[in-house]
Amino acid sequence: MPDLLNTSLTGLLAFQRALQVTSHNIANANTPGYSRQVPEFSTRVGSGAGNTYVGGGTQIATIRRIYDSLLGEQLQTSTTSQARFSALDSLAGRIDSLLADADTGLNTGLQSLFNAVQDVSNDPASIPTRQALIGEATGLANRFHMLDNRLGEFETEVNGRLSLAVDDINRIASAIADVNDQISRTNGAGQPPNDLLDQRDNYVLELSGLVSVSTIIQDDGSMNVFVGSGQSLVMSGNTVQLGVRGSEFDPTRVNIVIEGSGGAVPLDTSLTGGALGGLLEFRSRMLDPAQQSLGQTAVAFAQRLNEQHASGMDLRGNLGGALFAVDPPDVLYSSNNSGSGTASASVTDLGMLTGSDYLFEYDGAAYTLTRADNGQTIPMTGSGSAADPFVAEGISIEIGGAPVAGDRLMIRTGHGAAGSVQNLISDPRAIALAAPTRSQISNANIGDASISPATVVDASDPGLLASSVIEFTSPTNYSINGAGSFSYTDGDQIVINGSLVAISGVPAVGDKFTIEANYGASGDNSNGLLMANLQSVGVLDGGTISINESYGQLVASVGGATSQIQANLDAQNVVLANTQDAVMSKSGVNLDEEAANLIRYQQAYQAVAQVIAVTSTLFETLINATGR
Amino acid sequence: MRVSTASAYINGISAIQRLQEALDFAQRQISTGRRILAPSDDPIASARSLELRESLSRLNQFDRNAGIATNRLSQEEAGLSSVGNVLQRVRELTLQANNATQSDETRALIAIEMREQLDHLVQLANQKDGTGRYLFSGNLGDVQPVTRMGSTFAYNGDQGQRFIQVGEGRQVADGDPGSAIFFQIRNGNGVFSTAAAAANTGTGLLGTGSVVDPTQYDQDQYTLRFIGPGNYEVVDSLGGIVTTGSYQSGDTVAFRGIEFSLSGQPATGDEFVVSPSQYQSVFATIDNIATALERSITDDASRAAMTNGANAGLIDIDQALGKVLDIRTQVGSRLAVTESQVDSNGAYALIAQETLAEIEDLDYAEAISRLSLQVSTLEAAQQSFIRTQSLSLFNYF
Repeated sequence: MPDLLNTSLTGLLAFQRALQVTSHNIANANTPGYSRQVPEFSTRVGSGAGNTYVGGGTQIATIRRIYDSLLGEQLQTSTTSQARFSALDSLAGRIDSLLADADTGLNTGLQSLFNAVQDVSNDPASIPTRQALIGEATGLANRFHMLDNRLGEFETEVNGRLSLAVDDINRIASAIADVNDQISRTNGAGQPPNDLLDQRDNYVLELSGLVSVSTIIQDDGSMNVFVGSGQSLVMSGNTVQLGVRGSEFDPTRVNIVIEGSGGAVPLDTSLTGGALGGLLEFRSRMLDPAQQSLGQTAVAFAQRLNEQHASGMDLRGNLGGALFAVDPPDVLYSSNNSGSGTASASVTDLGMLTGSDYLFEYDGAAYTLTRADNGQTIPMTGSGSAADPFVAEGISIEIGGAPVAGDRLMIRTGHGAAGSVQNLISDPRAIALAAPTRSQISNANIGDASISPATVVDASDPGLLASSVIEFTSPTNYSINGAGSFSYTDGDQIVINGSLVAISGVPAVGDKFTIEANYGASGDNSNGLLMANLQSVGVLDGGTISINESYGQLVASVGGATSQIQANLDAQNVVLANTQDAVMSKSGVNLDEEAANLIRYQQAYQAVAQVIAVTSTLFETLINATGR
Repeated sequence: MRVSTASAYINGISAIQRLQEALDFAQRQISTGRRILAPSDDPIASARSLELRESLSRLNQFDRNAGIATNRLSQEEAGLSSVGNVLQRVRELTLQANNATQSDETRALIAIEMREQLDHLVQLANQKDGTGRYLFSGNLGDVQPVTRMGSTFAYNGDQGQRFIQVGEGRQVADGDPGSAIFFQIRNGNGVFSTAAAAANTGTGLLGTGSVVDPTQYDQDQYTLRFIGPGNYEVVDSLGGIVTTGSYQSGDTVAFRGIEFSLSGQPATGDEFVVSPSQYQSVFATIDNIATALERSITDDASRAAMTNGANAGLIDIDQALGKVLDIRTQVGSRLAVTESQVDSNGAYALIAQETLAEIEDLDYAEAISRLSLQVSTLEAAQQSFIRTQSLSLFNYF
């Protein structure tokens, strides 16, 4: 009889506990990362009664958490991917609309400027029209600034977000280490610490959203977490902190380091995936190229327009000065340099200019130039002196000082250039729309030869503005300024002091043609037309890409990358949702199931209680039978 | 598959959110009328649309330029038309004066009108355009092109011509310098001119000359001199005798590839000079005629001198008229070119706009049907979410 009572009691206790598990499941139905738990019943081995074994009731052998570690790993991986594209997408989408927007993009500004150049060419003597051109030039310079500033803001935002992500990673790593401690303490108890395991898995999942990690479970149940190319982040109860540092060349550019025992080790290139990986990728794959490309466009625009403007004459009879200012390539010295080597760079060939960042390194004997983004070595010509600078990819580098082997510096040919564009002309009369020289036919000419308008082939010729007379000494010979005898054939092109004219027709002896400074030609628009032409003329990439096209390429490449990112994000969202579904399907709480369990355990409990009642009846029956 | 309560909830909500996102996109497309809201929606089409917009902006600018060119050319055309009228009037006056019935007094009256026409012509040459700049001074818009010192007329402008961009790769000149219109006009027949010496005492009258063989003509200056009654010799600028001949009234004299007729009775010692054509301003031409007309006729010789002067003037006026006509023709063809360029700009702009519309503009029918499909899907999703979420075993406890 007492055995019967004991057996019933084990049932009562077991079902009570099972009801507790069910209520724990119901209570945590919405807890993220919670894996449902199931009680595992097993029979209590009874004692022998004669030659038979009578069972000793039931017991809960263990409370098992329903968790599939393979699915868990899949969830981490897809969380990492999804977070990467999500971070990329949130930033890329904004750059994308910034560049193409009519109010913020460059193309409308470029169009307005060139339209103003055309307007002023239509009426070159008009001061108000010239003033309007200066207004447009200032507006365009502002647009360059604004775009560069906005891209710079992205840089700052990336820096800030990287720091936050690193803080989060460090916080979660500490939390994992704490849970590791608790888990390893319970290790000896024999029962799985289900909720602690859930908690740790949840932290790892959170960490996966920030950066790609790999994990290993130790024998004592604690977990080691690795980032990058195998750097330990958590070792049992200890963590290694990540940190942010200003880059070697640019203190305002944040890099990620791991603070190992041997000092800070840079991690940037090995950290992938997650929000952090997405941020780093956004910076290197979208923001840097966008800044470089915008800078390249700005340099090409300013330098090419300046060149053309310098080949014209303004209303005061001076040759055109610079219309726009743009900074030469930035030279950034490594903070690790120990020598005093210096370098200065300038853009000398727009057709070759890439806008990229370069590393310029001294190995003790020679200098090497490599592309910063892909490490490609760029061959240079020249010796680095002022007279014979190093020349590569459209830039010239002049060196000085005394570098030490291993010293390096970075040359940025596009980055930031757009922000340095400035309109230099505020005096409408200083806009050089006229050609600097003109050709004239003498009124005394008898022959019917004509002369083309003078065009400038070398605006820097010191004799450009001096007058020259071409006089025919015979129908087939001419002298210049009374000297020399040059043979003439119909259509000959003659270059004198940097100006080119073509004479055609039959001249008579004594016929004269004059090339002289184009003073006072307020109505001449020759140079204005040439400036307007620059809108569609190829400048970059060996003279095949116009300034407008170069900006169009930037918009298209950012748009293309963004749409790719969006497509990837959509795909990763689906993958993540499917994995989450699979995990939830396995581990999630189903309330209907728990409701059924409630009924099941309740009924079992009631049944066992009935057994006790039966026991009691049996006992009473016995008492009554014997008590008579 | 086992469904957990939380995932049923999350999946239901995220499906609704996705539908709302699509709905929002369609709604923004419809409210802006644009198919592409950001370049990433269609990167290739976006780049193309940037190009097309640039083209359209340039075409628009070309049309503005063409408007200005047309305006300037019309102004020039009007100016040239007045110049032509003046020259025509001068021609008529010359013909009228060159008539035996005119007396010194009537010719003097004609000369007065001619000088008035000359003044008018100078004013026409010095006219300004709508913005206060001289129309015919080349690129020196602030410089008065024609100034006068007695009977000398000077051109102060330059020979430059301004071009206006009216189309992709197409420029038209928006005017002509005064040098080309008024000053660089060949006198005589364009190759050579003939003139009677002022000291002639006979009544020799020069007729029109022509070039017979251009290869023989060497642009030297020749003098035909009567060395006796009915006998002449032609000498070149170095005094070498080119030819000699005997003369009868109406004879044609020919040498070195050129010929001209001579009539009347030249006296011995009379000279006629043949010079290569030179640039002579139209002002000088009119002034010369007026001067010829102002001479009083006292004898046959002075009548012959007047007639020779008037005849030479007529030839020169015809040259000037030809020049004006020539330039007016050019102006007309520039106007025509500009107009046809505007037409082709417009045609291209239309194509560009259509392409742009195809690329950028929303197909409303498609978008609205998509929107209504999305609306009904969302409604269905919301209803089914409510229905499924309300199902629970706990409801029966």
